Amino acid sequence: MEVIRLAQVSLWRRTQEEFSYDLKKTVLSILQGKYRQPAKNLVLDTIDLVVNSGEKIGIIGANGSGKSTLLKIICGILQPTSGKVRVRGHIAPLIELGAGFDPEISVEDNILLYGVLLGFSRAQMRERTLTILEFSELQDYALVPVKALSSGMVARLGFAIATDVQPDILILDEVLSVGDESFKNKCQQRINKFWSANATILVVSHDLGFIEKSCDQVLWLDKGQLKFIGKSQEAIVHYLSTVKFGGK
Amino acid sequence: MLQKFINKYFMYSKRFKQGNLQYPQIWRYWELLNVLVSRNLKVRYRGSLLGVYWSLLNPLIMTGLYTAIFGAAFASYYNNSITNYVLAAFTGLVVMNFFSASTSQALASIVGNGAILNKIRLPVSIFPVSIIAANVFQFAVGVLPLLALITLIKSKSLVNLLALLLPCIALVLVCTGIGFLVSALYVFFRDLPYFYELVVFMLLLSSPIFYPADIVPKQIKPFLLLNPLSPIIESLRQISLEAILPDLSLIWGALLSSIVIISLGWIVFHLCRHKFMDLL
Repeated sequence: MEVIRLAQVSLWRRTQEEFSYDLKKTVLSILQGKYRQPAKNLVLDTIDLVVNSGEKIGIIGANGSGKSTLLKIICGILQPTSGKVRVRGHIAPLIELGAGFDPEISVEDNILLYGVLLGFSRAQMRERTLTILEFSELQDYALVPVKALSSGMVARLGFAIATDVQPDILILDEVLSVGDESFKNKCQQRINKFWSANATILVVSHDLGFIEKSCDQVLWLDKGQLKFIGKSQEAIVHYLSTVKFGGK
Repeated sequence: MLQKFINKYFMYSKRFKQGNLQYPQIWRYWELLNVLVSRNLKVRYRGSLLGVYWSLLNPLIMTGLYTAIFGAAFASYYNNSITNYVLAAFTGLVVMNFFSASTSQALASIVGNGAILNKIRLPVSIFPVSIIAANVFQFAVGVLPLLALITLIKSKSLVNLLALLLPCIALVLVCTGIGFLVSALYVFFRDLPYFYELVVFMLLLSSPIFYPADIVPKQIKPFLLLNPLSPIIESLRQISLEAILPDLSLIWGALLSSIVIISLGWIVFHLCRHKFMDLL
């Protein structure tokens, strides 16, 4: 079954440096007739992609080639300038975990907050609070404000909340390195469980060995264009050849 | 337009039947609103003894101050009664206070949550709305009971007590509309708070809060009608302070202008919504 379909997706984004961010200057420039539309960059160039359920897709490419942007389009965080995006099923985006935490309120309240932000209901989250605390090994900290936790603990909490339910689509931006060694193992086990279950997985990584080992298909992006999609080995060979060429 | 809406509705209902949507969008909005409002209130009142009642303290102290300075001079406009001046100043200040607090907080709400908006898919309007909602909650437990008490004592009528809610609703609509407007503009213009401070101050001076409307020169008066808070304050005072039934025309005036403002705010918000993400 098809779970993700991108049809002719292009995205233009405004370059932030161009923008004045300033009411006074903008009004003045309009009055002087010097106002111009802000410049835009083509970040993704007519991408076509179909992902079937259960497929494991790796995304590779140089920095700034649009890998994370593509994931954001699939998550629905960004809307494409043109083209269509269709996604079926519940997405667990593991992109910078814990961005939704409020440092001032307690761990328990944050579980509720972050869970609802991720798309669950409050009732669901209340049921899961215990298992989440258990998995993140933070039972003793349930009533402590998040700002009192160490950064490793915060990352553990974020991971535990986002992965407590088996998602239909799992999105990994860079391979996770969360917390200390023992917790890393625990994360790895959970990810492996998703991997062997029928979850669809999209992963962005610079660790080509990992991508080659664990993905069926690899997508190579270069400057917003989809250069290659196919068997992981082939894609990596293509990618590496251009890198070496560029280095000469 | 209508066709688009119908198509969208069918799309949602189809998806919902297939079980791909966990629950309808409106419910999700409601759940989000709940957690965000409780987050706002918890952060705001953590560790302060008076808690929600801080919001009551501000207008009470200001009323005392205005009464001490202007009370005697303006008493003749209020049937020679300082009490009447106190009540008029208090009702005006309550409205002004709610407006300035809720809209100033809403102003920063989208930019302040830019990091989250870049990581998780969320309806953007939830942030200004949740700020207004947190302020409504605070108003409902702090100021509203006091206003209700004043209304009961002065008007001795249950009709007035119920009608009291109408100008309050108008106030919430105005603040939501302005909240949409300023939160959207702040994404583009980061120097907006300085201008907005000035606007709030102009509104404070141009609404008859601590002075009687009669002292304003005739030529200036029409300009004061542009102030969207004036009809609300007038209606609120009429309902709570006069021993007669609510004046429907005042209530309509307040509600109508508030509906205009929330529509305008929503339209502006919606028109520039798609440009937000590039600037957050």
